[in-house]
Amino acid sequence: MTQLVWNGLFVGSFYTLVALGYSMVYGIIKLLNFAHGDLYMLSAFTGFAILGAFGGVPASMGLLALLAVLLVTMVASGLAGVALERIAYRPLRRAPRLSLLITAVGASFAVEYGMRAVAGADPQVYPVRLGGTAIEVFGARLTLQQLVLVGAAVALMAGLNLLVTRTREGRAMRAIALDPRTSSLMGIDVDAVISRTFFLGSALAGAAGVMAGAYYGKIDFLMGFLIGLKAFTAAVIGGIGNIPGTMLGGLLLGLLESFGTFWLGGEWRDVFTFGVLILFLTVRPTGLLGERVTERV
Amino acid sequence: MRAIPLKSIAAVAALGLLASGCGQGLLGQESGGEQHGPIVLGMLIPQSGSEASIGPYMSNAARLAVDEINAKGGVLGRKLELKTADDACDAQSATAAANKLVTEGVHVSVGGYCSGATLPTLPIFGKATIPMIIPAANSQELVDQKLEHVFMINGTGAQQAEAAQKWIAGQGGQRVALMHDNTSYSKDIALRTQSSLGAAAVTVEAVTPKESDYSANITNVLAKKPDFVYWTGYFQEGGLIVRQLRQAGYKGSIMVGDGSVSPKLAEIAGGEAAEGVYATMTQTPDTLEGAKGWIEAYKKKFNAEPGPYSNQAYDAVRLAAEAVGRAGGTDGAKVIAALEAIDGFPMFSGPLKFTPEHTLAGGGFQILVVKDGAFALQDSLS
Repeated sequence: MTQLVWNGLFVGSFYTLVALGYSMVYGIIKLLNFAHGDLYMLSAFTGFAILGAFGGVPASMGLLALLAVLLVTMVASGLAGVALERIAYRPLRRAPRLSLLITAVGASFAVEYGMRAVAGADPQVYPVRLGGTAIEVFGARLTLQQLVLVGAAVALMAGLNLLVTRTREGRAMRAIALDPRTSSLMGIDVDAVISRTFFLGSALAGAAGVMAGAYYGKIDFLMGFLIGLKAFTAAVIGGIGNIPGTMLGGLLLGLLESFGTFWLGGEWRDVFTFGVLILFLTVRPTGLLGERVTERV
Repeated sequence: MRAIPLKSIAAVAALGLLASGCGQGLLGQESGGEQHGPIVLGMLIPQSGSEASIGPYMSNAARLAVDEINAKGGVLGRKLELKTADDACDAQSATAAANKLVTEGVHVSVGGYCSGATLPTLPIFGKATIPMIIPAANSQELVDQKLEHVFMINGTGAQQAEAAQKWIAGQGGQRVALMHDNTSYSKDIALRTQSSLGAAAVTVEAVTPKESDYSANITNVLAKKPDFVYWTGYFQEGGLIVRQLRQAGYKGSIMVGDGSVSPKLAEIAGGEAAEGVYATMTQTPDTLEGAKGWIEAYKKKFNAEPGPYSNQAYDAVRLAAEAVGRAGGTDGAKVIAALEAIDGFPMFSGPLKFTPEHTLAGGGFQILVVKDGAFALQDSLS
């Protein structure tokens, strides 16, 4: 049973990192960024390219080298998110909500198949792998590397939370989420803040992408699709637009999947997961910690 | 909802009638031109979507065969021409692609990788009396309808399950866990192996493809304390499952099905974890005696290693050329008769003769094992 909990928390921390970007973007401009999962994919490939460019990394340096690559990739992924917003979403800021949504789907395919054209359709394998030997804790097998990954995820989430609740930048983001027009009248550069929000959210997805690449080893051009949907589900469960809620949602989704697989069998995992999504959307569309919103996509 | 499929079936049928009408009804110039132009082979392969990596292996090998035959003067003095179309491993795309090939005047179909995508194309080619030589897709469902124009040159799921059961029993597997990905091909093999193993099969676990983390499924499987795990899906998930099984502390034997036989499996699993993994597989260029020359030719032409199913695709083209040659033309019915009559045609999987069901008389399944990161022959099971 502890194994199930651990499996769930581990997968859930990946979901959370990706879901945060979803949630922040929705919170601030009410857009479901369906290309968000593909930024995760994009950064997995960026990390792969960087590691490849440096050639073989000595095994002992694996973790440190990965941390450096993680930081670089987060910046790159953040910039990709900013570019995506600039090219695909900003010109449509005043267009009906549906146009934005369709653009997001289009952007998602453009990124996926663009990557396929560049890197090929074959799955690639990371040169640095975080394997490690398992240790037993309360009857669950876990590795030091898993703990490091979860620790890194928690640190990133904590950092984000501080940034949003304690800084000027965070206050500006919250203000725009409430009312973009009034915020701009108050002297906030709305476009710049939206860009920075995209940067932060995409950088977090980027971190998840590199971590998944290094841990699972296999990356391919479609890897962002399913995790994008799962992250969306996690955001809905916790309360889309609400940062602590999204963190809770991601971990809960990981646990739900883990226990759902155990109770119902593997073939029911996605049925169960997306069934929960539908249940939340109908019964409590604001999620566990979300507040009442009057307008939704 | 009901009207749309009916309409599209009608459209497909009309199209098929039109195409077959062209072949037989309009004599004169039409058929005169037909007998002199190139012999057109159509190949449905995944070029996009999740299985996109397989497409090039197959189309490259087919092109190699076409070029070789054309260099020797073609068939009946006519050149071969290869037309590929993308089925995206998806039923809808496959239907559209098959219709496209039929309207482009394909004479023989030599494609088919995903069983689920190949299945809906059977009636489309059938209506136009286009013989189908299916190189890779191998679900029993393809031949269960007993369509006379459908030929499979790959072993069937039943034959693979039989080979798996034989090897597992020989290895003394007492508690066998079967894992599949819920696709027609994979589930078929897993369930057939389960029923032939009887009580020794302790659990059947289905996983969702395209995920990265299978730890929940693996926790389920390991709770049954298996000493043999058989994964029947594709290599993308197979590599991850092998790795995650070992990481979870599983020490017993692991075996994978033919969809997982790819050098990438060992790469994804990571050196240590993949060592000693068995596989049920038909003959591949790597394990064939005397295929060295062919591998060299392939590498020289495409600057790449021949991947899975390249030898079957190559054989499918050669077989199509042979049958058209024997039939003395591209008339569908005659080509089908020629295919049925073939006995002893040399292929990579051995001399070919079709069973009455249009499958290989001998399955030709063998057991491979991962040694130093590559699949090597373990037992030919003969």
